[in-house]
Amino acid sequence: MKRKIMVILSIAALLAGSLSACGNSGGSQDTAGTSVEGTKAAESAQTETKATGEPVEGGFLTISLPASPKNLDPVKYTGTYESQIIGTVCDTLVEYDSGLTQIYPAVAQGWEVSDDGLAYTFKIREDVYFHPGEYQDGRQLTAEDVKYSLERSNQLSAMNRLDMLDHCEVTGEFEVVCYLAEPNAVFLTALTDAGNVIIPKEEVEGWGEDFGTHLIGSGPFALEKFELDQQTTLIRNDQYWASRPYLDGVVFKLVSDANQAANALRTGEVNIATSLSGEAVEVIRKDGVVELLEMPGLHVAYIYFNMVKGPTADIKVREALIKAVNVEELTAGVYQYGEAQPASLPLPPGSWGYDASLEATIPAYDPEGAKALLAEAGYPDGFELDLHISNTTARVKMATLFQAYLEQNLGVKVNINTSEWGTFSEIGASGEADIFAMSWTWYPDPFFFLNKIFHSNAIGSLGNGQGFNKPAVDAALDAALLTTDQDERAQLYKTALAEIVTEHPGIFYSNENVEWGVTPDVQGLIQRADGKVKICTSDINIWLAK
Amino acid sequence: MIKTILNRCLQIIPSLFVVITITFILTRMIPGDPARAVLGPQASVEDIQRMRETMGLDEPMLIQYRDYMLNVLRGDFGKSYSYNKPVLELIAGRIPNTLLLALPAIGIALLIGLVIGVLSAVNQGSLFDYVFMMLALVGVSMPIFWMGLMLVLLFSVNLGWLPAIGMGSAAKGIGNVIRHMILPCFCLSTIPTATFARITRSSILESIHGDAIRALRARGIREAIVVWKYALKSALPPIVTVLGLQLASCFAGAILTETIFSWPGMGTLIVGAIDNRDYALIQGAVLVIALAFVVINMIVDVVYMMINPKVSYEGGK
Repeated sequence: MKRKIMVILSIAALLAGSLSACGNSGGSQDTAGTSVEGTKAAESAQTETKATGEPVEGGFLTISLPASPKNLDPVKYTGTYESQIIGTVCDTLVEYDSGLTQIYPAVAQGWEVSDDGLAYTFKIREDVYFHPGEYQDGRQLTAEDVKYSLERSNQLSAMNRLDMLDHCEVTGEFEVVCYLAEPNAVFLTALTDAGNVIIPKEEVEGWGEDFGTHLIGSGPFALEKFELDQQTTLIRNDQYWASRPYLDGVVFKLVSDANQAANALRTGEVNIATSLSGEAVEVIRKDGVVELLEMPGLHVAYIYFNMVKGPTADIKVREALIKAVNVEELTAGVYQYGEAQPASLPLPPGSWGYDASLEATIPAYDPEGAKALLAEAGYPDGFELDLHISNTTARVKMATLFQAYLEQNLGVKVNINTSEWGTFSEIGASGEADIFAMSWTWYPDPFFFLNKIFHSNAIGSLGNGQGFNKPAVDAALDAALLTTDQDERAQLYKTALAEIVTEHPGIFYSNENVEWGVTPDVQGLIQRADGKVKICTSDINIWLAK
Repeated sequence: MIKTILNRCLQIIPSLFVVITITFILTRMIPGDPARAVLGPQASVEDIQRMRETMGLDEPMLIQYRDYMLNVLRGDFGKSYSYNKPVLELIAGRIPNTLLLALPAIGIALLIGLVIGVLSAVNQGSLFDYVFMMLALVGVSMPIFWMGLMLVLLFSVNLGWLPAIGMGSAAKGIGNVIRHMILPCFCLSTIPTATFARITRSSILESIHGDAIRALRARGIREAIVVWKYALKSALPPIVTVLGLQLASCFAGAILTETIFSWPGMGTLIVGAIDNRDYALIQGAVLVIALAFVVINMIVDVVYMMINPKVSYEGGK
């Protein structure tokens, strides 16, 4: 008996010893606490790799993606990860600059818009060639290809990425006119989407269903090998019209776990890790060799109240809920490593439609005021609410804190319902959820946020699952599409935004940063608020220092 | 024996039929629209409706079922909408990867587990026995995700001996693939090793105290031979059963190990299919796993009959 006890004790000691030895490598566990310091770090943080020395040719850049690109056919792709690869293999007519403020020429070297906004005339560059493929051997890209690609997208795109196009007309070997059914100010933005890249007809028709794994374009790198759910290998296109890429090629690897992405950076198996989150951000921040690039992203994390049913249909209740939550504290609690900034409006500050003056109109943290308001609304003793979220760590943390605020400040009992994405999106879109939480990220043009989340025609989709419906908002949003003058549009979006926030539709609590880990040999990388890695364009050409 | 095998083969068909039907019904009962799952959060109502039509989801359930069964009988398991590829092609692409990981893992587990189990049984009550059974308990309880990350931190990041992610490439030589296999195989083998160790130990203990073994000892046969040849042989049936179960569950993949090490196996395929409500892919994968279970169980029964000719499934003589 005594022997048995001795044995058990000594084994326990052994185990304790071995576990503590592993402790330092998981060091981030120690950084608890909710200091707001981390969020300030983002302002002075790095967003570009410092170029040291003269560019040298050669090497393969390895980029990790957190989810697997499944199909590279521009009309079929549904996720950002595919668009990363499609955007490197193919070209669009126009592109956003790194600051995401200007649209500048790419395959189209210039364009003119008719006065009625219905006809866009594009002049195509005369030095663009497709990669050699199975069904064509690297021929020149002409206006016919533009017509083919854009009309194909308009007809077949699973996500309707060019729905505003009516038809195209080829008016010269290198000139094409795109006709819209109605004036639509986001046509040019839509043209920057990876769904609207220019592709050769022979390859699409030759490969048929398999075109998605044999993508051909005119971009800086050609698709060499697509290993589904493993990696995608691209090699240099010597004939690229913008600049000759320094890199021999690019490899996109699937690394779904953020901690493993950080590990792979440290072992050198990956040069750039996009979408770092949680502890992985802190690990890379503290790592002396690998660099962390972070900047505010075009992202909003929010809690959306049901506008039609349940207790939140009453505007006083909604205002009370907003007053009951301390957004700064919530952000610091959810994002312990400085990966996000507290927010207040449904648009990211990086969007040109953002109106900082509206921030003051959002109810501030005021627990007493919230309680009084709730009593006025007829719920002096609180009520029960069902919160629906998807099962990610950040969301669960937020829900727990939100539940605590409401319990403490209002006596409102929040039931947290966690589900995986498929179930969550079903519930969210159905209009049956009392409140749900999610995040939204897209182009800086306010159309892609406000129309999808607050326009009445989006009711039934996940964006406007809560039934927001205000004619004044619809009117402003519709009007903002009809003119291409950005200042006029900005004004209209500000009006829409003001009309939206007076309804207190939700708590727009954080803007997440774009967090990238980069090994020190990567030169010339510029981080973008939309999270895209641009490897070779007219003013970017990434190279690897030896 | 032939009769048994033939009987079993015939029984497979109705079993699989039941499996397909149950899976068909269950997948369609869980909440979540496949079209919405495939298209993502930014899809509009019209996009989703169009996708549903493409996927044939608006047809009545019975029509969908009939079409699916008719196709299966023709060997067509449908198309995956998240991958845009035939289901069989996807599964066939993943099984070799999964087996590449799972078979060595089970092989190692069997070898080590057997040895530890026998030694523990023979030295029942000793320090060796306690230590190793404790380790078996730890092995079975250890969270694989945590262990995988710890192994990577130690062997890849700190020591730099082994790669952290991926399958490696045969083009770079077989050594490259083996280096990529070491950590995931080790991770994957911990639970089976512990299982084999414990089952071997109990099984040997049972047989070693039996009359047959005592008789052998009485005849003066060396202890080592008594243990490793005779006791082990009569202890085999439960071990073979567990081995069969482990081999069959290989086909379901190892989702945790595959996720950590970015190993494209059946685990990530199936979980991804469920996330995306990819009905055809879920059904195809479940069918393959069910088939594996049924076939391997049959093989296990045949092996029993071979180990112990006294066992017969054909009724008394």
